[in-house]
Amino acid sequence: MKRRNFLKGVAAAGAAGAAGFPGIWIKGEGMAHAANGEIPVGVLFSLTGPVAVVESTLHDACMLAIEEINANGGVNGMKLRPYVEDPASDPATFADRVRRLVIRDKCVSVFGSYTSASRQAVLPVVEQRNNLYWYPTLYEGRECSRNVMYGGAVPNQQQQEFVPWLAEKFGKRFYLIGNNYVYPREENNVCKILLDRLGGEVANEEYVPLGHSDFGSAINRIRREEPDVIFCTLVGDSDVAFQRQLHAAGFDPGEMPVASLTRSEIEVKAMGGEAAAGNFSSAPYFMAHQSAANERFVEAYLKRYGSDQVTHFVSEAAYFQVYQFKAAVEQLARSDIDPISIRDAAVGLRTTAPQGEIEIDPNLHTHLWPKIGQWQSDGQARVLVESDKRVAPEPYWAYDGQSCTAEGLVKG
Amino acid sequence: MDVFFNQAFTGLSTASILLLVALGLAIIYGAMGVINLAHGEFVMLGAYAAWFLQSFLGIGLFLGLPLVFVFVALLGLAIERGLVRWLYHRPLDTILATWGVGIVLQQLVRMIAGPDSRYVERPAMLDGNLRIADVYMSNYRIFLLFFSVAVLVATWYLMTRTEFGTKLRAVIQNREISECYGIRTERVYALTFAYGAGLAGIAGALITPLASVTPGMGTNLVVDAFLVVIVGGVGSLLGTAAASGLVGEATALFSFLLNDTIGRVAVLMAIIVLIRFWPQGLFADRIRR
Amino acid sequence: MNQNFRFDCVGYALFAALVLLAVPWYLSFDGFELNTFARYLALGMVAMALALSWGYAGILNLGQAATFGIGAYIMAMHLKLGASAANPGGLPDFMGWTNVETLPWFWVPFHSLTVTLLAGVLLPAAVAGVIGTFMFRGRITGVFVAIITLALLVAIQLVFVEYQMYTGGQNGLTGLAPLVLAGWTADPYSTAFYYFVAGCLLVATAACVALTRSKVGLILRAIKENPDRVRFFGYHVSSFETVVFCISAMIAGWAGMLYVLVLEFASPTYMGVPFSLAIVIWCAVGGRNSLVAAALGGIVVNILEGRLSDLFVEGWTLFLGVTFILVVLFMPDGLFGVFRRIATRLHERLRRHRNSTGKALPTGAGAVPARAGEQGGQ
Repeated sequence: MKRRNFLKGVAAAGAAGAAGFPGIWIKGEGMAHAANGEIPVGVLFSLTGPVAVVESTLHDACMLAIEEINANGGVNGMKLRPYVEDPASDPATFADRVRRLVIRDKCVSVFGSYTSASRQAVLPVVEQRNNLYWYPTLYEGRECSRNVMYGGAVPNQQQQEFVPWLAEKFGKRFYLIGNNYVYPREENNVCKILLDRLGGEVANEEYVPLGHSDFGSAINRIRREEPDVIFCTLVGDSDVAFQRQLHAAGFDPGEMPVASLTRSEIEVKAMGGEAAAGNFSSAPYFMAHQSAANERFVEAYLKRYGSDQVTHFVSEAAYFQVYQFKAAVEQLARSDIDPISIRDAAVGLRTTAPQGEIEIDPNLHTHLWPKIGQWQSDGQARVLVESDKRVAPEPYWAYDGQSCTAEGLVKG
Repeated sequence: MDVFFNQAFTGLSTASILLLVALGLAIIYGAMGVINLAHGEFVMLGAYAAWFLQSFLGIGLFLGLPLVFVFVALLGLAIERGLVRWLYHRPLDTILATWGVGIVLQQLVRMIAGPDSRYVERPAMLDGNLRIADVYMSNYRIFLLFFSVAVLVATWYLMTRTEFGTKLRAVIQNREISECYGIRTERVYALTFAYGAGLAGIAGALITPLASVTPGMGTNLVVDAFLVVIVGGVGSLLGTAAASGLVGEATALFSFLLNDTIGRVAVLMAIIVLIRFWPQGLFADRIRR
Repeated sequence: MNQNFRFDCVGYALFAALVLLAVPWYLSFDGFELNTFARYLALGMVAMALALSWGYAGILNLGQAATFGIGAYIMAMHLKLGASAANPGGLPDFMGWTNVETLPWFWVPFHSLTVTLLAGVLLPAAVAGVIGTFMFRGRITGVFVAIITLALLVAIQLVFVEYQMYTGGQNGLTGLAPLVLAGWTADPYSTAFYYFVAGCLLVATAACVALTRSKVGLILRAIKENPDRVRFFGYHVSSFETVVFCISAMIAGWAGMLYVLVLEFASPTYMGVPFSLAIVIWCAVGGRNSLVAAALGGIVVNILEGRLSDLFVEGWTLFLGVTFILVVLFMPDGLFGVFRRIATRLHERLRRHRNSTGKALPTGAGAVPARAGEQGGQ
């Protein structure tokens, strides 16, 4: 058993080395995972600090899934033992806490984080220790780690249908506004490529600092440019402030809608349904989506955390990833439970998530069901368009000649 | 030309919010030299109080304002009595203590009201815009502008035309001699701190229709408010108002010419230069301390 | 050689023993545990740097994180170039994504390790030199220094986030190569690496202690007490202030470089306001009147944070805030004040003991000073 792990370690080290990661530090350790009938898993979402607004809901969804699994007899008779840490919205603290989970608590997997910055902060530790990090958030793509399970949408899954649909319904002149970090810029890169194909144009491309909350100047600019669509990748507080101020300034979503890739039920709840009504979001999941699995999820969530709570497309992924983990572990013998075996067992697995039946790609991203929703004044989205097939994740969609495969990033 | 006026109004609107937040800070810092890093949390508490009144008791934003003021002022009073008054002789330590207070208040709110952001409804009568030619002014922002000026005037009246204000100014000038004249300086300090905190609470309640209500919302505000207070000059209400106006308009101008980030950097640089050459502020307080 | 100096020496020796022997022994020389502790050491180093300017010269720098962050980014740039050697044109990956075609000129020198190590301390010093000269020539003091440095910190962080094609933006610089120093590959999870960081901290602390014990240190303390009188003596006050400001920045930059080696990424949060204020807190908890105590403060508060968040995942920041308040109220000189009191009492008892046995100790210059750290050390 040790020998087998060692060989796996060597193979993984080789793969990591080939992908350009410093794989030389992987140490052969006695993996006492799944000892005494419990499977240790890490839960790493910020409960304090600015990002806690979203991450605490991911924590809740993740814990809900763990509790449900344990209540139903666990995995192959073993209970999941969650180790909860609070990384306080700070990347350096993320790096510190993931060390604890992986090294001290010997977790076989860690579920965690919302922002790209925090994912990148835990990456060196997770890769060197050859552990497995389950990341539920939509993100910018362009990453192909063999130690991360990506549960959220990448740009092609959010935009391929959305942008042409918007262009057809409202027009091809887009005003791009987002927070200033890697995700909005990359989404906008993809959007510009799609617009280019459609013969559309970009009225302006604007980035404001994270946490920015005074959009007076931006709204003046938008009024002057008169775009057909406001293509919005603002997140969190900024999105809430922007939409409230836009609404207060009397913009009509029927003429100039806000099309967001990041706005979910949780932001709409904070800005008020009135302010959001009529605008659009693209996501693989909306709380109002109708399926038996979603009914169960929403009911359990509200029962557990209060009827004023909402579920959204990231908390859904935080929830279904635990079930993906369970499905993967179920295929392993008790002595084989280690991060890499779990990863290998997870590839190709199909599980029923609230959004529909999803599948894990060999590149460790997830095949999802993109949807387009229109916000209503009650704070829920009405799903207008639903993809008729699962859309495959292509994290390097915008980069010709590069693709993420089971062997890591392949160029040329 | 309409661009110019639109931006000018945006600047004024930014300035009015800054003024509302900074006024309480200016009074507390000006009167007792306490650098209150928990001021942002007082703003946040005001916002949460407004949310609580609206969603649990059905009291609207305007009707709730006096209650919000009283609530946050009482809390400020408690913090002054319990903590800050022990630190008047070492003002730099108040930075650390009030930072600790800020952490505690944030966490308490997070534990009681939950970590997610909350929503406060804007009074319906202030929906919509005032439009003059091609200049659009949101009614709510216009209201904020007038309201902040009203608060400024009220505070000025309190400071210069009432017995309390006279006592306060005496204490600021010379605490020992004021005590000789029978002024209970402890009480004056405590009430001043409470008043400053209450103003912060009102500011918090009034910005809720423009921003989201989260436990961490105050952190971003306090740094800007501090810069405004220092630029304006210690203990000068007019200075704080002028500095708010200046910073607001400069932010609007730079962020229009450049972009929001670089605009902010330019304003910060300008502030550094201002403090370097006019450390006493725009409206110097000519009291020997 | 008075008692103050002896106290410093004993404190330093104890600190060195703690860092070099006790901690590794307690953590049973486990590379990963030591890695966590090496992080605390780097943070202790930046707290020590702040104590140098705040405790000894009265310059409260709320922007200490800026120089720390600059040091961190310089190291990260070197390591990023190392990791990007195989890319076309040696271009870091994030630049390719933001359509940068060639390596910008200000990245090129950091191919060289020598340049990197020098720049990591000299560039922060240069920034501090410019802003220090600007401020101190104008006789800016106290809270105004605090506000100017704070504004500068916010501006620098905004610039680093804005120009993400050159700095990696909000994500910072990630995916770094290991540092190769004179043929030794710095594996952050090795005992050797821990001793490397500990050595840096001890060398920097020793250098700063020596500085404060020199004539410069005496003048700095005099400036802290009363700058005008020092000026009347003919000393160029602003030059002294600028120099100590620069040295503090150098140490902070050095600590920043170590921090990147420990965590293997650079992030703009290293230049954030919360982080910068945290440094002030560590310094205050340890005691700003002693360099060793400030370093200890950085280490202790971080251990405490780690423990608290372990015990009370839901409300640990509550306890942290309460701790700060209590420290300010009841330990105005931080841990240093407590140690000092204990040491003084021990000394008293020792003297009484000696006196009673007839070996009288000379009183006067060598006697216990009334207040910690406030008497000259010549």
